[in-house]
Amino acid sequence: MTLPKPEQPWRPAPETLSLAIVLTYLVAAAGVWSGLWGTEWAAISGELHQPPSAQHWLGTNRLGQDVLQRLLAGAATAFEVGVVVAVSTVVIGASIGGVAGFFAHGLIDGVATWLIGTIDAVPFYLFVAAVAVALRDWPGAMHLAMILSFWTLTARLVRTETMRLRHREFILAARAGGLNTFRILLRHIMPNLAPLLLVQSSLVFVAAVKAEVVLSFLGIGLQDSISWGIMIAEASQEILAGHYGNFLAASLALFGLVLSINRLTDRLQERIDPRTHASAHRKLP
Amino acid sequence: MKAGERSSRFLARRLFSAVPLLLGVTLISFTLTVHFGPDPAWEQLGRNPTPEQIQQVRHTMGQDRPFPLRYAGYLVNLARLDLGHSYASGEPVLDILLRTVPVSLLLVAPGFLLGIVLALVLALAAAWRPHGHLDRFCDLASATGMSLSLVIIVIALQAVFGVWLDWFPVRGWRLDGPVDYLEHAAVPTMALIAANMGYNLRFFRAVFRDVLADPPVRTARAYGFRARRIATGYVLRAAAPPILTRVMVAIPLIVISGSLIIESHFGIPGVGLVTWNAVMSGDQPVLMAVVSFSSILFVLALTATDLLTGLLDPRSRSA
Repeated sequence: MTLPKPEQPWRPAPETLSLAIVLTYLVAAAGVWSGLWGTEWAAISGELHQPPSAQHWLGTNRLGQDVLQRLLAGAATAFEVGVVVAVSTVVIGASIGGVAGFFAHGLIDGVATWLIGTIDAVPFYLFVAAVAVALRDWPGAMHLAMILSFWTLTARLVRTETMRLRHREFILAARAGGLNTFRILLRHIMPNLAPLLLVQSSLVFVAAVKAEVVLSFLGIGLQDSISWGIMIAEASQEILAGHYGNFLAASLALFGLVLSINRLTDRLQERIDPRTHASAHRKLP
Repeated sequence: MKAGERSSRFLARRLFSAVPLLLGVTLISFTLTVHFGPDPAWEQLGRNPTPEQIQQVRHTMGQDRPFPLRYAGYLVNLARLDLGHSYASGEPVLDILLRTVPVSLLLVAPGFLLGIVLALVLALAAAWRPHGHLDRFCDLASATGMSLSLVIIVIALQAVFGVWLDWFPVRGWRLDGPVDYLEHAAVPTMALIAANMGYNLRFFRAVFRDVLADPPVRTARAYGFRARRIATGYVLRAAAPPILTRVMVAIPLIVISGSLIIESHFGIPGVGLVTWNAVMSGDQPVLMAVVSFSSILFVLALTATDLLTGLLDPRSRSA
């Protein structure tokens, strides 16, 4: 990570297209946040099941709501869910994993390892279902359930890396210099793990966006909101009657975003370490 | 003699290490479904109960006991398979599980197993010739598969095979013979294979690439040993521990999400539909039983995998 990279012959970066696609989604979401478009997703603005037209670019759904408005608002929701879950997951995972790895084989580490193993042993969708029932009517239940379930993978990786780093000279020097543990972890260990944390956050982002679709489809996801998962759930009723517009729009939107972020994550991972390629997708759905 | 002793000490240590995990998962299940769950006292009471009545019902149900005592009571009930009765139907939860779990297994197992076998074959063939046609196809297939959701695949396949081509029933479940079974299981099986192909291919191919790069395999291939001998005699054996672990870890995710999504969407009376109904209606005994049992089974399965990989590969025992 700290070594200079060997010179490579130039070729067009395959990540450019992916980056452009992700930025397009981000612009769509930013437009929703600043009120430019996608604010009328709940309004009934036309006839039912209209095909695409100049007024409704992607047609209307079974209530007569504009599909494009809902799609754009869904992009904003996807980023909200993804970013909230990814940031909280990585912060919690890095804190617990870092402390556990620094005091490896001690009491704190024992408790943390037990907690990680325990949470990993409860099947994800049942865990979310149980949290949804336990925290009925609280809008953050889905986010909380994902965070509580996803942080363990980051914690495992950070713990292993911290255990590896803590005997290195620069950490010993920092300890000899009288820095406290918190400072060593924050200023000397975490910067070394920045690439790993970045990869983890983008993996968690994708996992959260995909899980939202499944959970909203099952009716234990977002409530009183709009998302691609909710669109797909309502489309699952329309599709048997031959109305594909809503379903195709939401599915392709999800596909494009996840595909692009997955590709970017892959490139990032290859740059950090060509050998970690396979293992990072291990647990996340 | 000495090796045998070491093996049995390893076995004992691993078996013992499952105990704290079992306590952990039951604690989580208990806390979420029973402690924070819907208050069963309300189910027993009529409208506008007095505080004394609430207190009375709670006392008879043992709800006013302290948390550790209630948790212990729950563990005892779980061990005696005394799971209570469903709020919705009044049926014993154990009977519900015994009736619905086989349906879900019949529904999900073919897709899960076929998906793994197919992915193993494709991944080995792709890893055999890096950058070949099949390898590139696998790149494409895994990128696509990982970007789709099981939900999308289920709905799309239902639209194609159930509505457009009209080959298979669109919903429901009937078991009046093998033809019925195959017809009803066809779309779910295809969906499960397609939904997991991406992750499986990617993981298996990476494992096979690693093993194929091992010096003994390279030497054997350079000497012109038969491909089948190398593949079955060395590659599959060396790749078995990570693949086995991966498959075990994937079981709850794939089987449970598959059974929840497919059964609730197609209206198939398996344990997934029962769980989904329990979530929707707050049927606490059913939810508690499903969450507890699947977590316990998963801990036991993981421990068994650990033991198996430890026996296959002594190097992994120290970890």
